[in-house]
Amino acid sequence: MSDTVKIFQKGFNYSQDGPGNRLVYHLSGCNFACKWCSNPEGMEQKNYKEYTVKEIVEECISCTPMFFSGGGVTFTGGEATMQFDALLTLLKELKQNGINTAIETNGSHKRLVELLPYIDHLIMDFKHYDTVIHKEWIGVGNEQVKNSFSMLSSIKRKVLIRIPIINGFNNSPEGFVEFFKKYNTDNMEFELLSYHEYGKEKWEKPYQITNGFVSREDIKKFQQLFKENNLKLINT
Amino acid sequence: MEIKKVYGADTLTQKAKSLFKYERSKKRLDGWFLIKEIENECEEKYKAYDEETKKAYILKEVVSRIPLEISEHNVFVGTQDDAFAKSYALINPSFKVEEFSGYCDPTAVFGDIEPNEEFTKERIEKTREVYAKTPYVTELSAVYEKVESDTKEVAYFIEQVTGHLIPDFRPALKYGIDKLKETAAEPMKISLDSILILAERYKELAKTQLESASEQRKAELELIIETLDKVPHGPATNLFEAIQFFILLWQVMCIEQSPNPFAFSVGNADRIFEPYRNGLDRDTAAALLKHFLVFFNVADRSWAISQNIIISGRDVDGNDLTNETSYALLDAYYDMNMPQPILSVKFHKNTPDKVYSELGRFFFSPGILTPSVFNDDALFEALKNNGTDEQDLPDISIAGCQEPLIMGKDNGNTTNSWLNLGKILELTLNGGESLLTGEKLADLTPAKLENIREEFYKNVELFASRMANAANGASSALSNLKVPFLSCFMGGLESGIDVRDTKRQGTKYNGSGCLIHGVSVIADSFIAIDKLLAERPEDADKLIPALKNNFVGYEELQNFLLSCNKFGNNLADVDAEATQIVNKVSDIVSAQKNYLGNSFRPDFATPSTHLLYGYWVGATPDGRKAREMLGYGLDPLFGEATNGMGFRMLSALKLPYERMVGGYASHLGIDPKYFRGETYEDKGLEFKEKIINPLFFSSKDKVAPFYLYVNVTTPETLRKVQANPKKYAPSGVYIMRIHGTFVNFLDLSPAIQDDIIKRLDLKSTALEA
Repeated sequence: MSDTVKIFQKGFNYSQDGPGNRLVYHLSGCNFACKWCSNPEGMEQKNYKEYTVKEIVEECISCTPMFFSGGGVTFTGGEATMQFDALLTLLKELKQNGINTAIETNGSHKRLVELLPYIDHLIMDFKHYDTVIHKEWIGVGNEQVKNSFSMLSSIKRKVLIRIPIINGFNNSPEGFVEFFKKYNTDNMEFELLSYHEYGKEKWEKPYQITNGFVSREDIKKFQQLFKENNLKLINT
Repeated sequence: MEIKKVYGADTLTQKAKSLFKYERSKKRLDGWFLIKEIENECEEKYKAYDEETKKAYILKEVVSRIPLEISEHNVFVGTQDDAFAKSYALINPSFKVEEFSGYCDPTAVFGDIEPNEEFTKERIEKTREVYAKTPYVTELSAVYEKVESDTKEVAYFIEQVTGHLIPDFRPALKYGIDKLKETAAEPMKISLDSILILAERYKELAKTQLESASEQRKAELELIIETLDKVPHGPATNLFEAIQFFILLWQVMCIEQSPNPFAFSVGNADRIFEPYRNGLDRDTAAALLKHFLVFFNVADRSWAISQNIIISGRDVDGNDLTNETSYALLDAYYDMNMPQPILSVKFHKNTPDKVYSELGRFFFSPGILTPSVFNDDALFEALKNNGTDEQDLPDISIAGCQEPLIMGKDNGNTTNSWLNLGKILELTLNGGESLLTGEKLADLTPAKLENIREEFYKNVELFASRMANAANGASSALSNLKVPFLSCFMGGLESGIDVRDTKRQGTKYNGSGCLIHGVSVIADSFIAIDKLLAERPEDADKLIPALKNNFVGYEELQNFLLSCNKFGNNLADVDAEATQIVNKVSDIVSAQKNYLGNSFRPDFATPSTHLLYGYWVGATPDGRKAREMLGYGLDPLFGEATNGMGFRMLSALKLPYERMVGGYASHLGIDPKYFRGETYEDKGLEFKEKIINPLFFSSKDKVAPFYLYVNVTTPETLRKVQANPKKYAPSGVYIMRIHGTFVNFLDLSPAIQDDIIKRLDLKSTALEA
């Protein structure tokens, strides 16, 4: 059981990382190496500040007046589940204190299921359906992401699946829909996040994406095909 | 005559706009000087009377003799032009922070009149000389002289308070002046004749204009004449009469205190006028109220600053008191968008959403005025704890910037004294010697850093007690200038006592204000000293030399001090320190007694004085450099709260607002990009959700914050307006807020423009990470 947590950024955000006004903690370190990452400073575990779990819980409690409109605390990253034990403890403690919780994850942790009882809003990225392309662009395969997806489907867990759409990587919907159709997605919502370069300036290593922006037509194709297949799209 | 037979709403609006334009074209304000001449002349004539009666007679003489005007744009008669000089520094483009002097010369106003053929230098000088010899001026000068070493670098400042009250004109409107006179004490009764004389003179003037008037103007003048036949002698029976009556009352009240009775306030104008609306539709009511609003603008720069109108709020049981006149007033304000009068809105937890959605257009239209907002629920609690009777609480109104007073019942003497905690810390650290000039200003010994808190509070006590003494001296000097007319509406009709009386209390509630400066700088400084002693004890001796040298050669130490915890980031230690400072300084200030033995009221507001007083404070242990601004009101020091709105608000929520019975100031510069609603109405509701609810209505088990003003804009936008006003403010008016007042950004001196831009401090208010 870890009693400290490494955080590289924290701040309030409204409705983009779960509902309402949320205190968002960015946990340091990530097992993926997405070339478009908008928080590259969190990819490696460096330049973080280490807090005890107790400190974070106390801070969250002190922040409750700001959790308006159904808000609460969101853990993101980096990849929040990289600090699994601390995250589990934090989520448990926050729930005990009646605080609404959310996590944003890439879905690659084998024990994700253990966190679920303590998460009010689960947001999981699903970046690519093809294992080889996933590995090529992100450095690791998507086997565990698919397992997580399957697990969430089978237990009918409410989840928001986010797909970052990057030109040249995943900007056509067919493969996604083909994969999702294999599962019961009644309790799932999907959100398309078009490529942006808000984090580009933070990259210390060379930024490799040259033409990542997706066309409106591509997005429309996604929207249409998702709709035809009863995959519920939302915008947060 | 029915109003609608004479005017349609559109005509009224056009006339209000042309009246405002006409008013803004006035370059000279000579009325106050004529009044001073008349007053001087009449001293002799009425010298046999007691001061109160004498003043009442002199007021009658003044209103009998000052020149009157009814312009073709006037729907109502009356003006404030004769009560104000072109004095208020901040809206003077030549104002410079470094020229502020810690000395208040009541004869300085004679420098605010430009000599010309009619008002020659000799004529001005002659009147000034007489004035300079009055007991008021000589007593006041003696008070200032005595405390010069304390005020020259502003350890504190004191002033005589004119204006700054909220008269209750409701009984006058309801019963008429004749009725009020029946029970009034003699001097008050005489003073009430002034408004009758003034009305009569306006009526006669209107009659003389009839002959040459067009048919339309004739009808308009007849409406004026008919109205003046009824009011102010008798009660008002409709909105037109009520507004006319009110304007004349206000005119006489300001003339009585001429020159420059700043910051008189109307109170809840919606509740004052609603009983007279008689079903008049919102558009026509708004159009009439536009003329009411124009009345508060004086000449080319709207020199009568900080006159405040409040709307909405609650009753004792928590029921909402917003009415149709509240909304009509909002319409009038929005359409006219003038630099005066100030708009304030009282929210409470049962405020209808309609109020928020109707306010959206104010907050989110660039260059449009924004209201100050108050939390009635918290104000009720704070003032009730302080001894205000429950039934008086719905009449909480705002005098001037943000000081809460009970309309007609509360003489708060609000800006009587000003305490500069920054300077006191400097003198505590440096043994009474100025870090800026090296001059020994007070007989103190340098404090040991280990004992800094103890020594600091001891010195706050020392200076606060000298300050209170001097402030009482100023109030006493001012009491030479009686105000029988105003007193009628401040409890004097019943008590017969002048509101300025320093021996007998004629107004139900009384206190004196103390504006306290520098909370965040002191909190940050104490925490930095702690950390220095704990982590770098070997460098403790370097602190004073570093401060003396304004950190030149001590940059590394300054960076260390700057890196310590700062107020405004939801950090437990420094937030607790700020809370303790508010509590302890409030204790000290409340323990000071005014001329009637009532407490001084702690008011944590710094109406641009965070700049002026900051200029007189040397470098401070928080890493702030010499002469830089102090924190505004209770706000974190500019640039020190960098983690967004959430954390900043959390720090603010911890402070003990129940102690701030004199008021406090806080400002948020808000980037409009965080509000995504499609309409102004939606954005208004978003403003409620994201700003007002968390700040005002999330506190449990403690008194919540009760005041806020905002500027919703970005530095880039304001730089554009500054660089190209013709393009971005074609009307010549671009309204922004500085402290409790709003101002035409284009009228401001560059120093104040830059302060507004700097203090937007958008890092401290980011709503999204």
